[in-house]
Amino acid sequence: MNGEPILEVRDLAKVFPVRRGVVLRRTVGEVQAVDGVSFTLRRGRTLGLVGESGSGKSTLARLLVSVERPTRGQVLVDGVDVTTMSRSARRELRRRVQIVFQDPYTSLNPRMSVGQIVGEPFRIHPDAVPKGGRDRAVKDLLELVGLDPAHVNRYPHQFSGGQRQRIGIARALAVKPQVLVCDEPVSALDVSVQGQVINLLEDLQDELGLSYLFIAHDLAVVRHIADEVAVMYLGRIVEHGTAADVYDHCAHPYTRALMSAVPVPDPAARLASAEIVLEGDIPSPADPPSGCRFHTRCWLAVRLVGEGEPAADGVPLRCATESPALTDTTVGHLAACHYAERAALAAAGVRDV
Amino acid sequence: MSEPGDGPLLEVEDLAVEFRTRDGVFDAVDGLSYTLTAGRTLAIVGESGCGKTVSSLAVMGLLGPTARVTHGAIRFRGTDVLALPSKERRAFAGEHVAMVFQDALAALNPVHTVGYQLTEVLRVRRGTGRAEARRRAIELLDLVKVPRAADRIRDYPHQFSGGMRQRVMIAAALAMDPEVLIADEPTTALDVTVQAQVLRLLAEIQAERHMGLVLITHDLGVVASVADDVTVMYAGHAVEQATVEEIFAAPAHPYTRALLRSMPRLADDSTADKVEGGRLDVIPGRPPRPGEIPNGCPFHPRCDAALDVCRTTPPPLVELPGGRTSLCHVATEVLEAAHDSSQRATSGVRGRGTP
Repeated sequence: MNGEPILEVRDLAKVFPVRRGVVLRRTVGEVQAVDGVSFTLRRGRTLGLVGESGSGKSTLARLLVSVERPTRGQVLVDGVDVTTMSRSARRELRRRVQIVFQDPYTSLNPRMSVGQIVGEPFRIHPDAVPKGGRDRAVKDLLELVGLDPAHVNRYPHQFSGGQRQRIGIARALAVKPQVLVCDEPVSALDVSVQGQVINLLEDLQDELGLSYLFIAHDLAVVRHIADEVAVMYLGRIVEHGTAADVYDHCAHPYTRALMSAVPVPDPAARLASAEIVLEGDIPSPADPPSGCRFHTRCWLAVRLVGEGEPAADGVPLRCATESPALTDTTVGHLAACHYAERAALAAAGVRDV
Repeated sequence: MSEPGDGPLLEVEDLAVEFRTRDGVFDAVDGLSYTLTAGRTLAIVGESGCGKTVSSLAVMGLLGPTARVTHGAIRFRGTDVLALPSKERRAFAGEHVAMVFQDALAALNPVHTVGYQLTEVLRVRRGTGRAEARRRAIELLDLVKVPRAADRIRDYPHQFSGGMRQRVMIAAALAMDPEVLIADEPTTALDVTVQAQVLRLLAEIQAERHMGLVLITHDLGVVASVADDVTVMYAGHAVEQATVEEIFAAPAHPYTRALLRSMPRLADDSTADKVEGGRLDVIPGRPPRPGEIPNGCPFHPRCDAALDVCRTTPPPLVELPGGRTSLCHVATEVLEAAHDSSQRATSGVRGRGTP
């Protein structure tokens, strides 16, 4: 069973219109939040998704759980396209993909008891558990995530952040999903509690055979939990491979820059690391740069021009004009860079210093 | 880095802060001491509720009406700030010691331009005129590397990105040329790429002005990359104090050791962990809430080295070689074990203590 595709995403895109005016709402532009994303999530595996805020990670998560309708592309659950289905047919497939939100303080209704929160999904998916067995099911779920089943009548404010995140996980598991989309599930938690929740997610995966799409900005957490990693920049996946490949042999200059920005918990590394610092912020997705979307902040492009590559606007011509496709590289995984081989070499060079 | 004749800039001695709430009186900070000299960076590390922010608010004189300093001294260049009359006390904050807050969007006023807020303090305190204030605002934005400073002083906070807003906060804190800057989680809300930019900026400004910097954070990675000295806080107490090299090489408090172990690492050995079963070492339980602080050592319910004495008797402050301290009954043993395991690690044995 393990290893077959459970969730496939093909050329998925979401464009939000930018509107102006109160009475006469005119569309004055558009934001390409997600632009042509494709990947396959396999049964029992974890795909980590990293990138800066504004890269489209959360919009992608919302598309996968059908909170947003895609502008283009397909989401296949067990080989069946969810995006073109009727509402009622979609419901059953939606049950199989559930979401855990980032903030355990705002994603739980403070006026509902824990039992009501965890049991609420049964109202939408009555077939998941027969009516008589729901109280039992809620208690089992609480036990499964390491909470005391005797606390079903307590309210969210009586729990700590880590316990609340466990409640959120129990709610997501109520309707027996196959895929969990975890959108920054530990970033609101204290350091000492983060590890507990990560371990819980790993245990649940082993026990229930779940697949995770794990979205986080903390690269160390993603490395720990993910089998595969995809890096997003301005709505597109720019690099995708196994965690070891992406982290140790990255082939995209953006990935390299992200890695080098992570503070290393070792004071000796301060002097040793040849740090690549990205200048400026991520550009607005309402007006993405031409050609390669990363070219405005790319350190490799600057280096290449210095070496005499034909240039326009201070970056190599191809980078400024031609959008690179996500293709196989010489290092054995996918990257979207015209100069992926150079990027991989440069990255390796930095590592050896 | 310290120049000859540099005395300590800021000394906090045995500070205690209590909160009065409906549920009773709680100690948020209990017995905190540290010394900051010019040009050095002190990181105060801990989880939420450990008292790291409250202790800094006490230094700034910004504690709310329900909190008060019950004990201890805060000295700036030898003068006890707590003994000053309230007018001089207020003058001290901002003039000599300034603070950068965590949430820049909440700390900036949405209805005033950034230029106005940058120099409000100058107009109020020094009576600076409008033209001069404007010139100074541009200078400050330039200093923190906000592009097109002359245009941007007319913008409002919401028109800035998160990283740029944090730069504005730093600029505002620098308006009075303080000698000490306290930065409370200045990069927590930022992306790693922007965090790196802001940390680099802080380090540059500090070196240029020979300022003392107190950096409050929960992120040990940030600590390792910028701090000189480290104070680890837990449940209101400074549980360990040492230089950054000492603490990362060999922690002398079980809490510090557990924090370091529980961090997932970016480096290659985390894949080794994964192969070995894939579990992170974690600290069981959670930090105690105020009012629920256990007897004896406050860390004992979560501690893997706890003895019977830890449950009943508050731990002594143990002075260790190199001038470092640890608030622990078994501090010496913990430090020795840490030295042993770091020696094992360097001699090639990849043991992490637990099978």
